[in-house]
Amino acid sequence: MTASNWVTRVVCALLALALLLGSLLAIVELVAAALDRAPALVPYPDWTSWLRTHSWDDRVVTGVLVGFVVLGLLLLLLAIRRGKPASLALRSRSDGVDVTASRRSVEKSLVAAAARTTGVTGASAAVSRRTARVDARTMGVSEPGIREAVDSAVRERLDSLGLERRMRTRVRVTAKDPR
Amino acid sequence: MSTRANVVNRVVLTVLSLLLLAAGGLGLALSLGAFGASRAARPVLPQEVSTFPDGRPWFWWAVAGALLLTALLALLWLLTQLRTDRTTRLDRTTNARDGYTTLHASALTNAVEDEALGITGVTSVSANVHEHRGQHVFLRVELADSADIGEVRTRLENEVVAHLREGVGDPRFPVTIELRPGASRTPQRSVT
Repeated sequence: MTASNWVTRVVCALLALALLLGSLLAIVELVAAALDRAPALVPYPDWTSWLRTHSWDDRVVTGVLVGFVVLGLLLLLLAIRRGKPASLALRSRSDGVDVTASRRSVEKSLVAAAARTTGVTGASAAVSRRTARVDARTMGVSEPGIREAVDSAVRERLDSLGLERRMRTRVRVTAKDPR
Repeated sequence: MSTRANVVNRVVLTVLSLLLLAAGGLGLALSLGAFGASRAARPVLPQEVSTFPDGRPWFWWAVAGALLLTALLALLWLLTQLRTDRTTRLDRTTNARDGYTTLHASALTNAVEDEALGITGVTSVSANVHEHRGQHVFLRVELADSADIGEVRTRLENEVVAHLREGVGDPRFPVTIELRPGASRTPQRSVT
C-alpha cells in the first residue's frame, strides 16, 4: 500500500468514527428531549438561539462556510488523487497471469544499476507512472559521458524488467565536493 | 490491503466532499449577498424553520431514522478500513447439490512458496489467496539484484503457476505475481 493510500485510509477511519459517534450522540439527545430531560452532552438550546440571533453575513458564519468549502476541497483532492503507483505492470505472457513489479523495488534496482557505473559514488531514484528519475552522485568533477553511462545502465535495467508501458528516464549527475 | 476498501473510500469521500462543497458554496453565496442583501441579513435559523417540527411528530422520527441510517453506514465504512482481501479458504465447489469443496489456502500457498524458492535468483516468496472479483493467488517474489528476471518469470509462469493450476484443478485459475527486483542486493560501487 502506498503512503497516499495510508493517509486516505486513516482520514476515512477518523471520518467514519466521527460520523458514527456524532449520529449516536444526536440520537441520545433526541431521546433525552423526547423524555423532557435536559441536554445530555450537547448544549443544543444555546446553539439554536445563537443561530436565531446571527445572520448569514455574520463573520463567524462566513468563516464556518469557508471551512466547509476548504474541507470539501481537501476531501475531493484525497478522493481523486492517484498518487504514485504501488506497482508497475509488466508485459503479459500467459493468459490469466498478471505480473507486476513493485515500484519501491524498481527504484532500489535502479539505484543499484546506477551505483555500479564507474565514477558514481551513490544514487537515488524515484519512479512515477511514466518517468524514472535517477540522481547520481560523483566525487569531485564528474568525467565526461558519465550521465550517458548512468542513463544507459538505467535503461538496460528497465528493459530487462519488460514493463508494459515504456518509461522515460531522467538522469541527473551531481558532483560532490571532495573536501 | 484491500482494493475494495480503496474504491469505497474514493466513493464516500467524493460524496462527502460534494455535499460539503455544495453546502459551503451555497451558504457563502448567500452570506456574500449573491441572492440579495436582505437575504444575507436574515438569521441563519429563521423562525419558520425552527418551529417547523411543532405539531409534526413524524419529523423527529424521520430525523431519528436518518441518524440511525447514518450511524449504520458509518459503522460499515469503519469496518471496511479493517478488512483485507485475503482469505484462508479456497472454494472449489463445482455443484452445490453434490456438496461443498473447500481447500485450505495455506496448503496451496506453502507448496507454491516452496517451489518458487527453488528458482535461481529468488530470495524470498510469500503467497496468499485474495478475494477480489473472484479468487486469485497473489505471489510476491523477492529477487536478488543479479537475478535474470526473464528467466525467473518464465519458470514462475511455466512451472509454478502450471503446478498451482493443476493443484486447484482449474487451468485458468487467475494468478497475480508481484516481482521485487533488487529487494536483496549488495551493490558493487566503483569509485575512480
